[in-house]
Amino acid sequence: MSPTPMPSLVGGMSFDNMMCSRCGEGFEPHEKIVNSTGELWHQQCFVCAQCFRPFREGIFYEFENRKYCEHDFQVLFAPCCGKCGEFVIGRVIKAMNANWHPGCFRCEMCSGELADSGFIRNAGRALCHECNAKVKAVGLGKYVCHKCHGLIDDQPLKFRGEVYHPYHFNCTACGVELDSSAREVRSRPGFANNDMNELYCLRCHDKMGIPICGACRRPIEERVVTALGKHWHVEHFVCAKCEKPFFGHRHYEKKGLAYCETHYHQLFGNLCFVCNQVIAGDVFTALNKAWCVHHFACSMCDQKMNQKTKFYEFDLKPACKKCYEKLPVEFRRRLRRQHEATPKKLIPA
Amino acid sequence: MNQTPVSCIPNASKMSKAKKVLEEAREIKNPELDLTDKGISTFEEMPGLLNMTYITRLTLTHNKLKTVPPGLANLTNLEILTLANNNLEDLPLSLSSMPKLRILNLSFNKLYGLPRGFGAFPVLEVLDLTYNNLNEKNLPGNFFMMETLRALYLGDNDFEYLSPEIKNLKNLQILVLRENDLIELPKEIGELSRLRELNVQGNRLTILPPEIGNLDMITSKSVFRFDGNEWVTPIADQLQVGVGHLMDYIRTETYRILYGRYLTNKPEIPPPCVDKAKKISRIR
Repeated sequence: MSPTPMPSLVGGMSFDNMMCSRCGEGFEPHEKIVNSTGELWHQQCFVCAQCFRPFREGIFYEFENRKYCEHDFQVLFAPCCGKCGEFVIGRVIKAMNANWHPGCFRCEMCSGELADSGFIRNAGRALCHECNAKVKAVGLGKYVCHKCHGLIDDQPLKFRGEVYHPYHFNCTACGVELDSSAREVRSRPGFANNDMNELYCLRCHDKMGIPICGACRRPIEERVVTALGKHWHVEHFVCAKCEKPFFGHRHYEKKGLAYCETHYHQLFGNLCFVCNQVIAGDVFTALNKAWCVHHFACSMCDQKMNQKTKFYEFDLKPACKKCYEKLPVEFRRRLRRQHEATPKKLIPA
Repeated sequence: MNQTPVSCIPNASKMSKAKKVLEEAREIKNPELDLTDKGISTFEEMPGLLNMTYITRLTLTHNKLKTVPPGLANLTNLEILTLANNNLEDLPLSLSSMPKLRILNLSFNKLYGLPRGFGAFPVLEVLDLTYNNLNEKNLPGNFFMMETLRALYLGDNDFEYLSPEIKNLKNLQILVLRENDLIELPKEIGELSRLRELNVQGNRLTILPPEIGNLDMITSKSVFRFDGNEWVTPIADQLQVGVGHLMDYIRTETYRILYGRYLTNKPEIPPPCVDKAKKISRIR
């Protein structure tokens, strides 16, 4: 089945010296000779090494000096693609211990074709140069510039979701080359898409009137809370005492600071003098104290009072008229003298 | 209903008044019992009261009570007890064991002292002892252990000194010492960080410890009364302008030095400025 091909003696080109590459016999005069790539065959010898049939349309595949028809060649020798499993006809990419169609051999991270650009083996994966650099940079705790693919040694500039060397960009307003202090501005507020974002240098950014958070001093690009004459990031507008954000809950202002309900009352005393609880409903405020509506009563007889009740005060406690009149005369006389001495008028409230 | 037998029969008409209130309250199980100005002179005129353990408030103002029975402490749900303007000369030891008592008003009585262990109240917040005959010598040893206290009224008593232990009353917001005989204030008052009402009107004070300056006097919620004392000239001059000025002044280094000098060379103790002989609390 595999006759050893005789060395071809083509050289003198004499008819006697010509032999069939397959059977080694000479040729009869006028016999049809097949000539292919400098070798000669009897017509009946120029057949597929596997099925001994002539090649269809003269197309044959050669492997180790033997010629096969398309069908047998594929069956016997054609490589299968490591990705799609089909025969690879034509250009075969041999890499990573497998064969590939050129279009099937791609970077495992970015899916870019690797056939012509070359690849780098990284932890059992074939990666393009860029992705490999990125992986390496992340390993070093650094970024790779999305534009020049170089490692970013200093602070990177984040822009439209990617990182860059700041010097690849210029300020949208003044054109100055940027550094990492540059600010990305959402030019279409409310749109999640970053595509409209622009870069500005710090100076131009500050002139644009973008609100700055009163707590962290950074620009506010999402929801702005305006209170106490300043702007705040929602999460930075917090109680001055417990530092928990209000998140839209009611806050209480005092001397330029904001407090949550609990701490405002705790610190500034809108606690009921009787029950010592935060006053939920209406408040009676008098005598440097506060009361729940149903706890506002005479300090001596516990008789309920309302805003129309006339009451006397001593030691900043309310006393109803009836009780006051029952107090020792000598005490009332002293009290009266005291009130006359102090310019404040406190009875009745 | 378990009614205790009535042992004394004073004024029949007044007694029935108190009884009527009690019966009405029992019928509707009213937790707030008001017996103001019912002419009551002993607890025996209020049969069954001590069994009404559900009450949370008891008001006995303007009566003629001379004593309180130890059994009052059985009213374990009582939160507010008002015994103002009676003739109380002493109190039972058991009172301070009342577990829920938050407000106790004993003003306008004739107390010459408080029972031993009086400071043991677990949750007392407001204590009114205005117009009695109390002084630093007849207070029980644990008086200043009531950490839950937020208001202490000691006006119209006979204190000449206030214990430095006052600093233990960490939650104190109100301290009234009006018209006592105070000769000096302890510097520890400056540690009462929550204090917003201080009344030392009508005493015999001459100098103020600079530590008073630690108190937050600027808050609009604060009231401080210092008049009616025999202040040394620099203090009197500042007070003339206003309490705020006085506070600024006692915080200065100048005053600190001056105060040191006053300490080594104390100003003369002024005589009592209020004639207390006429106080009704004195009359037995």
